[in-house]
Amino acid sequence: MADTGKRILMAKTGLDGHWRGPTIVATALRDAGFEVIMIGMARSDEVLQAAIDEDVDLVGLNIGGHIDVALRAVELVQTECEGMPIFCGGVVPPHAKRRLEALGVEVFPPGSQLPDIVDSARRLTGIA
Amino acid sequence: MQQPPDDSRDWVSASGIPLKSYYMAEDVPAAHQKVLDAAPGEAPFHRGSYPTGYRTKPWRIFQLSGFGKPEDENERIQFLLEQGETGFIMEHDRNTADHLYNVDHPEVLARREDVGLTGAVMQSVRDIDICMKDLPIGTSYGHAGGAVVQHAPFALAGYWTVAKQRGFDLSRLPGTGQSDFFLTYLGCVTKQQIPTDAGLRFNADIMEFCDEHLPRWVPVSIAGYNGADSGLNAPQELGALFANAVEYLEEIKRRGTMPIARAARACGGVSFRMSMDIFEEASKLRAARLMWTQLLSERYDVHDPKVSNLRIHCVTAGSRMTYQQPINNIVRGTLMGLAAALGGVQSLGVSGYDEALSIPSEHAHQMSVRIQQVLQEETNIAAVTDPLGGSYYVETLTAQLIERAWAFFDEIQEQGGFLAALDSGWMHQKAAENQHKEFMAQSDGTQKIIGVTDHTDDISPFEVDGFMGVDDAFDVALARLEEVKRTRHEKAAGSAMRELETVLRSDRNIMPAMMTALESEVTLGEVGDIYREAFGDWATPIQT
Repeated sequence: MADTGKRILMAKTGLDGHWRGPTIVATALRDAGFEVIMIGMARSDEVLQAAIDEDVDLVGLNIGGHIDVALRAVELVQTECEGMPIFCGGVVPPHAKRRLEALGVEVFPPGSQLPDIVDSARRLTGIA
Repeated sequence: MQQPPDDSRDWVSASGIPLKSYYMAEDVPAAHQKVLDAAPGEAPFHRGSYPTGYRTKPWRIFQLSGFGKPEDENERIQFLLEQGETGFIMEHDRNTADHLYNVDHPEVLARREDVGLTGAVMQSVRDIDICMKDLPIGTSYGHAGGAVVQHAPFALAGYWTVAKQRGFDLSRLPGTGQSDFFLTYLGCVTKQQIPTDAGLRFNADIMEFCDEHLPRWVPVSIAGYNGADSGLNAPQELGALFANAVEYLEEIKRRGTMPIARAARACGGVSFRMSMDIFEEASKLRAARLMWTQLLSERYDVHDPKVSNLRIHCVTAGSRMTYQQPINNIVRGTLMGLAAALGGVQSLGVSGYDEALSIPSEHAHQMSVRIQQVLQEETNIAAVTDPLGGSYYVETLTAQLIERAWAFFDEIQEQGGFLAALDSGWMHQKAAENQHKEFMAQSDGTQKIIGVTDHTDDISPFEVDGFMGVDDAFDVALARLEEVKRTRHEKAAGSAMRELETVLRSDRNIMPAMMTALESEVTLGEVGDIYREAFGDWATPIQT
């Protein structure tokens, strides 16, 4: 597919090593013409640093643990990179999903379909 | 008869074996015809381990459990035992245990709310002692934790130290460890891990130590489950599992410290994933027993039925449990549990219906036990061993799986063996290819998942939210870490750490020094620091 010219950062907020979800999503995003920068497990400060250094258009977080850990990364990126869109996936129970959505984060829990995730990336980076 | 509307589609098993609409005697491959006369309890054991099956040995109800503080985990295990669980599994907090970090490590401090979410925090033998309070370790079958290879020596030594302190004779202690390569190097690749050759050494050390001191203990348990839930299909799960076993056996053979038959016995307790293709999964277990018998006899000249009789634990596929309409997962758990029961197992864990949301709530855990009790007590499947034996379909599928599994085993050998296939990322590539295929099949409508791809209108009256454990696990763990360091015999701890370091840099068995370290109250993170210094990091072949 044609290069979109858009860059997406993908990081895992927890120390849990399940890589299946983010890897599948990254493959689908690359197939759809995005450049995906994966940094693996990252603390909130590392997520922010990578978002700035890599000059990305969208931040994707894989969440495998407590919602407060993810919220720290979301809030830091939103504060320091104004207007930076964020989407996330992983094991996000309904109560956590509601809190993320209240901050304008798009959430893809288990069972989400790849075309929907790709559509979201296109919308959030302003190409659709 | 009216043709079904989708008769033209390709009917295949979950792993892609083409399926006929019915099977006849002549479909069973000739090579497999020869074993059809074997009874359960007779080599090559595809028909089951014992002639009397579940009549005399009902499968063990064995649920993964743990969260929070050690006392929270203890309470949950006690609850499960009261509900009818017949063994117990102690899960350690993944954040700390998998990395061998104490809670004051900067990587953990940055994620303090995660601590205790996926297992109890156990940083010293004192924590393990609390977690094991009043547990029937002498009579029941305990899983000490230590799923990740680098964590296993610490978890096992902790469990055994507590048992010794309580006056148990280790030579009579039943139980199991895991130390699984699939989890460590394929399924759950952590931030920092010892290299695979160091991991192989640890596992062989544990096998030797158990051979000498804990003959009733299952030292290592290869978990095909973790390969399968990472993407390997049924024949790949089988082929890779036996390629893993061969690494252990070759290492022991190279050392010459243990007769190969005893080594085979030591790694002949394995686990498989049970997923939703009932007949393929049941056939997989039958195939596994036959393959193990074949491998030992042809490659190692081991024919003792006590050794070549593979013992199997199954866990239902966590990845098949859906986030959407989670109550449907009770049905899935039941069907996958049925597949395991039909294929023949020694023990079984059924995933919680809230698996896609969180670790199991008390209710979800209770349901996992109840599902197994209903299967055991109400369905009469315990009456007859290998009820699928002789089915043209199942025997054909069993033979086809064996053929494909050995082909995958050979491919792994061509890669240089199981460890080499992990080091290079070849195995990850195989898993990822299948995952990708599966997700595409869901998106294009060829794979249906009820409540996810189809019938998505949820009118379920049940609200299920994720169980989040307790909120004081981190604070208590930090206080206890400080306390243990303040009150332990510092000289003994220091000398145990130096001894451990010396042993790691030699070719001596790590376990005696690890026992001393645990007895001397050396903590998890201190052991991790010694490993990191001695072994460095595994060069992760995948980008996460």
